[in-house]
Amino acid sequence: MSHQWSHKSILGFTDTETVMLDFDNSTFKTVRYWARRAMKWHRLEGFLILKSSENSYHIVFNRKVSWSENMKIVAWVSLLSHNRGLRRYLTMQCIKEGSTLRVSPKKDKPSSRIVYREGAEDNQIAGFLRYRRRIKDIMKKMS
Amino acid sequence: MVKKIAIYGTYVTYEPVWQRYWHKRKDGVRQRYWHKTTRMKKVVKKGRYEFSGRGRDLYKAVIEAHRTMPEGYVDVSAEEFLEHPEEYGVEGTWVESSVVS
Repeated sequence: MSHQWSHKSILGFTDTETVMLDFDNSTFKTVRYWARRAMKWHRLEGFLILKSSENSYHIVFNRKVSWSENMKIVAWVSLLSHNRGLRRYLTMQCIKEGSTLRVSPKKDKPSSRIVYREGAEDNQIAGFLRYRRRIKDIMKKMS
Repeated sequence: MVKKIAIYGTYVTYEPVWQRYWHKRKDGVRQRYWHKTTRMKKVVKKGRYEFSGRGRDLYKAVIEAHRTMPEGYVDVSAEEFLEHPEEYGVEGTWVESSVVS
C-alpha cells in the first residue's frame, strides 16, 4: 500500500537496540549474502530486507543488542563488505548515537518495501514493523 | 532505549540580520560591535527531531513538526514537545533535500 506523501520532510524509525544496515549501490544477492553472514556470525536470529530504491536496501535484524554491540556489528559488515554507503551510514549513526532507517518517501525515492524475510521475527523485527505501521498511519492521516 | 520516530531534512526559515558597527571608546580604541537588526533574511538549514512517546502524542508532534522546524538535533518526548514547541524550534517550512539517514 503506498501513500501520497506530499510533505518535504522525511520520516524515519530510530532505535539503539536494533541492528539496522543501509546498503547503497548493491545488488539484492550481495545484500542477502551480507545479511546471512552477519546473522550467522553474530547470532542475530533473523533478518528482514527492505528495498528503499534502485540498488539500495535496508536490513533489520531480530536480536536485541546493546548500542556498542550494534555499532560493532555495523562496523564489521562495513569493513568486510567495503560498501562506501554503509561506511557513511555507520559514521552518521555513531555521531547521533542511534540507528535510523527512512520510512517515508524522499525526493524521487519511494517508501521502502519488504522484499525478503529469513529466520525469526518475533523480537526487534516485530517492534520495527509495529513502528513502521505507526509511521505509515501518520503519513496516511496527514496526506 | 525506547524506539523513536525521526523527522528530518532541510528547511527554510527567516532569521534577523546582524549588523556590524564601530564605536570609539573613551580610551581611544575603536571597537567593533554587532547588533541584531529588524531586517530578516531567508536561510536554509538542516535539522532533526527524535520523538518518543505514545501513538496519539507522536501523531500530534509530527503535525506540529511541520510548523515548527528543529534547531539542530532535538531529542525530546512528544508530550513535552507539544507543551512548548517554541522552545525546540522556529517557524519555517521543509524543503526537498538529499540528507542521509
